[in-house]
Amino acid sequence: MRKKFLFFLSILIISGVILAACQTATETEEVPTDVTSEETVSESSEEDAGTLPRDETLYFNGQQWGTVVCWNPYSSNCNNAMALAQQDNARVPMFETPYLYNMLDGKMYPLLADGDYEWDDGMTQITFKINPAAHWSDGTPVTADDVAYTWASHVKYNTQFGAANKDYIDTIEALDASTVVVKAVLGDDGKTINPLLVQAYLSSNYVIQKAWTQKLEERTGEDPAALMADTAEDAVYSGPYHLFFSDDTKVVLVRDDNYWGQDSSMWGKLPVPKYLAHVIYKDNAAGTTALQAGEVDVSQQFNSNVQDLWLKDNLPISTYLEDAPYNIGASLPTAYFNMDSYGLDQVAIRKAIAMAVDYDTIISNAMTNQSATFTQVPRSLMNPTPGEQALFDHDAVADLQWAGNDIEGANALLDEAGIVDADGDGWREYDGVNLHYAATCPNGWSDWQAAIEVVAAAGSKIGIDITTSYPEWSVYQTVVTNWPLPETGYDILMMWSDGAGPTQPWGRIRHLISGEFAETTNNWNGNWGGYANAEADELIQAIPTMTDEADLKEAYTRLVEIYLTEVPSFTLMYRPQAFHTVNESVWTNFPHQGDGTNPLVPPLDLTDGWSIAGLYNLTLVNE
Amino acid sequence: MKGYRKFFLNKFFWLLITIVFAFILNFILPRLMPGDPVAAIIARVAQGMSSSTGMKDVYEQYTKLFGTDKTIIEQFFIYVKNVIHGNFGLSFSQYPRPVSDIIHSAIMWTVCLQFPAILVSWILGNLLGALAAYIKKGFDKVLMPISIFISNIPAFGMAIILLVIFGVELKWFPTSGGYGFDLIPNMSLKFIWSVIVHYQLPFWSIVLTAIGGQAIGMRSMSIYELNADYVKYSRFMGIKDKTIVKYVFRNAMLPQITGLALSLGTMVGGALVAEIIFSYPGLGYTLLNGIMGQDYPLISAVTMIITIMVVMANFLIEIIYGLIDPRIRAAQLE
Repeated sequence: MRKKFLFFLSILIISGVILAACQTATETEEVPTDVTSEETVSESSEEDAGTLPRDETLYFNGQQWGTVVCWNPYSSNCNNAMALAQQDNARVPMFETPYLYNMLDGKMYPLLADGDYEWDDGMTQITFKINPAAHWSDGTPVTADDVAYTWASHVKYNTQFGAANKDYIDTIEALDASTVVVKAVLGDDGKTINPLLVQAYLSSNYVIQKAWTQKLEERTGEDPAALMADTAEDAVYSGPYHLFFSDDTKVVLVRDDNYWGQDSSMWGKLPVPKYLAHVIYKDNAAGTTALQAGEVDVSQQFNSNVQDLWLKDNLPISTYLEDAPYNIGASLPTAYFNMDSYGLDQVAIRKAIAMAVDYDTIISNAMTNQSATFTQVPRSLMNPTPGEQALFDHDAVADLQWAGNDIEGANALLDEAGIVDADGDGWREYDGVNLHYAATCPNGWSDWQAAIEVVAAAGSKIGIDITTSYPEWSVYQTVVTNWPLPETGYDILMMWSDGAGPTQPWGRIRHLISGEFAETTNNWNGNWGGYANAEADELIQAIPTMTDEADLKEAYTRLVEIYLTEVPSFTLMYRPQAFHTVNESVWTNFPHQGDGTNPLVPPLDLTDGWSIAGLYNLTLVNE
Repeated sequence: MKGYRKFFLNKFFWLLITIVFAFILNFILPRLMPGDPVAAIIARVAQGMSSSTGMKDVYEQYTKLFGTDKTIIEQFFIYVKNVIHGNFGLSFSQYPRPVSDIIHSAIMWTVCLQFPAILVSWILGNLLGALAAYIKKGFDKVLMPISIFISNIPAFGMAIILLVIFGVELKWFPTSGGYGFDLIPNMSLKFIWSVIVHYQLPFWSIVLTAIGGQAIGMRSMSIYELNADYVKYSRFMGIKDKTIVKYVFRNAMLPQITGLALSLGTMVGGALVAEIIFSYPGLGYTLLNGIMGQDYPLISAVTMIITIMVVMANFLIEIIYGLIDPRIRAAQLE
């Protein structure tokens, strides 16, 4: 009897479990509605809650990876790539900067500002006006006081934007409702320490509404950590778009039809797409598939062999340039020599390795030809943009430049320096010790790994043993940003360098070779190999205050000479500031080379700096 | 039932001990990984930061905020205190988002993908295994090898094959996302249909790779049981085949139920491959990113949930076994 009871009981339990499970299985489709109840839909009307009309929505990929965390312009931890990025080419769909930087002509164009900014005679302060038409999303005007209060808050709460600039900007004051004065920090000589960084602030940092900031201060009790951790979904903004919807799978911005920029003093109209949407893809492959399927209009990600999309697949897809390298290279992924590694203090060894590397293979394999070659754009400290290329004397450095894969030259250089294989084991020795190095970059960064493999292969051709190692990013970043580097494993390490921006190429050069970053901890700036050169440091310090073009050119040329002679690091490829691949099955008239726009609209995803002008030029294919 | 109470209390005692140790390990192990999680946040903050003193200030600000400047013992007690209050802390990798919020928004997707997939593959696998053992013929000669072949395709391979065939080439199903790329969640039929359609490829990529393993286990167990003495004896006794199959099924099922319980316990870890390839929302990818970014609070919270689910599943199974099979109870109490 008892056995029977137990048997029935167990059958009951098992069937209960299975039935419950089946129940869940059939109800699965209802689940997302539960999930969405927690998500953010800032506007909800019957129509809005459903489908985003395809002909009113511009889809992006490659910007937003992972869920948006917050909408707080005081924080740089919001992982909010559609709305927030205060950088050289600031992202301005929601919050706006006084000026917009255009990487194609190197100029700054007014956005919230009215007319150009002006330095005073002694170059100690900048004055600019606020456009009288500019108003916030709540209808109140944007004033000089907002600009001043934004800066004061950055300093008061030591936000990263305050911390980054307070060494160079003293105060920002409102002279009257529309006049802003930015006072620079002055050196002992009474001159501005760094005018470049002071003026860059104007195109890199948002103006945030004073009234909203005060509201934020009130609810966070003026606690810096709480202020920066606030999700700020109620933020008042001045830009043309704002939050419409955000969850784990996508983020959507919707146009504010009351946007001030439709005033004739600015754009004279509203941006064309009503919605800017970004589906969150988990890797590049998923993003490329969506681009092929026409679910993405603007792709800011690396699409391997991008030319196949139109040449083989016959899709209406294109890039900014019709032919390779398809995009405008702006940043220089670089391999840094650890100056403390045995033998790497010798210029001959450093230069020989750099000369032997087969850059064409890196460019064709790692970048699938989406980089200019070093024959097309010979190496210097400048990116391939015409503006930067014009800043140095090409003839003066021509003898120092190398295009790579020069095994003969590299071997000759080493032989000449007496660094030979004396014991006949196949590896050269320096002072009797074999040269063994490890080249490294973060694991999973596949294009960088492909480049590092080519560097290692070059070593074996010139009798220098180079092995590769790929630590996880979490380990890698901790190690390379904190001097001293370990004795082994980090002899040649790959990191990035600055792209295009209002302080470039000065900022990039500073980050590549300035002694101020050598042998430091918490170093996210550059010069990770610990290179020091007094002459270079002097030039880097002098350039921001130089106004004469000939002096500037001379200084930059000298810096390039030093860099190519000393080889503290070497560029492996040119990489675009942002990848810019567009699918013209729904929208057209995207920025392309020779599109006739004036000023030229740069290929920066239609959200960054002057590239937002592209949103006003779009048209529908079937219109 | 006195013996059973003792059995139950004994198991319950060990359950508590396991959870305490698991809790401690969940806290300590992520923190033993090399690297500095605050550096990862600084990496994001560092963009456009040109002042090195400013960088140090910000670094110290965050170390203080996350308490990584304190000793691991101090951190542990702060963690215990917070967890008791139901607070898993703020995520490092998605700072300032609370861990509970991350888990809350991702877990339903994971459970709704995994739970039905595990059950369906378990049921289909066991059915196939039992039929292959009992009926043999086509089941054992054709279906069984095919299912084993399919199951041996690595999960990512299966996902990509389904993606290319049914998503890219035939265009029967969408290639990514939990619902239409052009939809905003709402209660319309269109949205619900979109969720169902988006569900198919990730679901079948999990089911197809799991069937074979279940089927092999069930087939072996059934064959073993079919040849057991009691089956032969029953046949000699002239007992009907139907009744014998019932006996065989009950005995063969026991280890399979353990397998089911364990896989249900681990499902919170997420279907990583399906999530990545189909850009499907869920906890697996979030956890992977958390591990890469040394997001201690997130890793600890998710592994804690996994641990508790596995431990609870084991506990329940043992309790049910105790009820179903007196031999186990007796053996445990000896």
